[in-house]
Amino acid sequence: MTKKAYIIGSGSISPQNTIDENWFFEKINPVHIDFFSALEPSYKEHIAPNMLRRMGRAIKMGVTAANMAVVDAKVQNVDAIISGTGLGCFEDSEKFLLAIINNKEQFLTPTSFIQSTHNTVGSQIALIMKCYDYNFTYVHRGFSFETCVMDALMQMEEGKQTILIGGIEEHTPMYVELLRRSKKFSSNNSHQYYEGKTKGIQMGEGSTFFVLSDTKKNACSCIEGISFSYKPKSTEEILSAITNLLKTHQTSLEKIDVVLMGFSGDQQFDNYLLELLPQVSKTSATAHFKQLCGEYHTAGAFGTWVANKIIEKQNVPEAIKINSLTKSTINTVLIINAYMGINYSFTLLSKC
Amino acid sequence: MGEGVFISGLGLISAIGNNVAEAYHHLSNAKTGIGKINHLQTRYKDEYVLGEVKLSNNDLMDFISHHSPLLNRTSLLGIAAAREAVLHSGIDLKDGLRTGLISSTTVAGMCKTELFFNDMIEKNEHLEILDTHDCGESTEEIADYLGVKDYVTTISTACSSAANAIMLGSRMIKHGMLDRVIVGGVDSLSKFTFNGFNTLMILDKEWCKPFDENRKGLNLGEAGAFVVIESESALKKRNGKALAQVMGYANTNDAYHQTASSPDGSGATKAIQLALQMSGLNASQIDYINMHGTGTPNNDLSESKAAINVFGNNVPKFSSTKSFTGHTLAAAAGVEAVISILSILNNKIFPNLNFTTPISEFKLTPVTKVTDAEIKNVLSNSFGFGGNCSSLIFSKV
Repeated sequence: MTKKAYIIGSGSISPQNTIDENWFFEKINPVHIDFFSALEPSYKEHIAPNMLRRMGRAIKMGVTAANMAVVDAKVQNVDAIISGTGLGCFEDSEKFLLAIINNKEQFLTPTSFIQSTHNTVGSQIALIMKCYDYNFTYVHRGFSFETCVMDALMQMEEGKQTILIGGIEEHTPMYVELLRRSKKFSSNNSHQYYEGKTKGIQMGEGSTFFVLSDTKKNACSCIEGISFSYKPKSTEEILSAITNLLKTHQTSLEKIDVVLMGFSGDQQFDNYLLELLPQVSKTSATAHFKQLCGEYHTAGAFGTWVANKIIEKQNVPEAIKINSLTKSTINTVLIINAYMGINYSFTLLSKC
Repeated sequence: MGEGVFISGLGLISAIGNNVAEAYHHLSNAKTGIGKINHLQTRYKDEYVLGEVKLSNNDLMDFISHHSPLLNRTSLLGIAAAREAVLHSGIDLKDGLRTGLISSTTVAGMCKTELFFNDMIEKNEHLEILDTHDCGESTEEIADYLGVKDYVTTISTACSSAANAIMLGSRMIKHGMLDRVIVGGVDSLSKFTFNGFNTLMILDKEWCKPFDENRKGLNLGEAGAFVVIESESALKKRNGKALAQVMGYANTNDAYHQTASSPDGSGATKAIQLALQMSGLNASQIDYINMHGTGTPNNDLSESKAAINVFGNNVPKFSSTKSFTGHTLAAAAGVEAVISILSILNNKIFPNLNFTTPISEFKLTPVTKVTDAEIKNVLSNSFGFGGNCSSLIFSKV
């Protein structure tokens, strides 16, 4: 594919202060025990009160981040809405399931069932924006958001001009408690994931949306391409996927200015990325992002937000740096993301 | 743009049988698979009918020769159908061509989570099920069973999901990103969805009556349904045989209501028109429409309106085969893609069962008996919660 997707607007609700549009890693919020909760904005500034009352948290976060991106982009409408979520509207699913169990399938009301559907966020955005066009929701673990990126690039090629994409994930106290009991959490406080000494993951949540355009106007950066690797069996396999992607875009790994890594924080899942790190650190500035947002299916959306900011500000903030290599101009950022050692994705962004 | 996309293999497990041959037998004998509840553990067992797959989970594990305590019913149905589609097509996953799997589901691991959620909370047991709850899990089980490595993803757009899987797969082939893709969807029955639809009061306790004036609602069903689609060159390379061609597709949003379709059928109308436009066919060249036809008052009204908007007084022969299988949610468009292609291959229209009286506003009458007719082009509609409208067009090769 030859078309690029120019980022003309973004909005992020994350455990960091991303709801302040001027925030650039100045003050970092620490992890709360063993999971990150999103810092939520005042929703009533974004959503009509009659709609807000019924919405679950994932829907509120999704609709609001989408609205932030649309406002940032100064567009009235879009040609496609593409959402990604690993678990969907978990709070509503849990509510309806507990009602079924506790009331033995009686006295149920439909609201939480209606909202539990995975495509609720995408369709609520369509309802609010009155967008009658293409509307997709991807729900594949660590590929959920990244498939949105791929689809958007394909849509640009097919003639669409403005596309809204985003990733949404929420956690609930019950889900966090069950994960804690299943001993998936990190037991240490180090966030130097790249040292490969940490075990367990710190769960996170959030919602990040982008407005993508097929024209450069008002954009600082663009997404050039994306590729995937499913259950790779070696670091070489990952490297070859990266090399192929970069070759398609007339570049190579040693020419990449910044490599942004999506370490999960659990060394057993991070081993391939840890093996890759010394190699990419030789020629590129390296940084990582999940110590700021936690691990979740669509954390890559937050990673993309970070990459976009790095290009916009021409600066890799101290809070995310791995090595000390600096570049006078940041022309390219490669995101290497991985979910649980299963879903690997590689996203190339460039300055424009 | 891009290469032609051809269907080369079909796979289906549903209430009308464990494979495509059994489904064809039911369809051509007008024999529904919807009946009394045997497997779903619900207090309403004796009150409702469902389109259940007749095999138990243990039977399904025997059926696919793969026994694993972590496999849930969604994954089992998905594996059974995807395996059949791959075997039918004759593709060799190790021949070096790029193969993807695009599945879709709404229920995913909920069929198992709902049985053990209380034990997880109260007794700290079965916590491993947490890892099998999400939608991607069943897709990865299918991919690993078949040995698909090059690309996997999962779509969830409610009852239109599998249509969108077919659409994405076709687009990836046209963009030259994959040579062939196993596309479709899977949903198993769960207390969660059964009670959800029940609270919406859109379930008929008896056999559903799509497009009938006195229709009361839908019957839920379960299914795994996949087709193999290939690029023209991939098919040529291996001397494979095309069963049909994917000629058109479109995805729109009704943006009217979270669960209801617009009374003017605007989203559906646009989806059908755009799919027709892509196919290059005239409306008059559509020989048969496999309708979404859930049997709910709202859907059938809106869909009838959309059909009239597009086809005027010349609505092609149509039927809803959900009267055979029940509404299989994410899998529905996969089930109906298989049925549409069986129509093309056998020049037969499979009937809309249980119909007696046309909807008074429209006077549209579906095909009610197994009918022989030359079928070159089929339109298949699928709509879902959240205003998702998808239309596909399959053509004879």
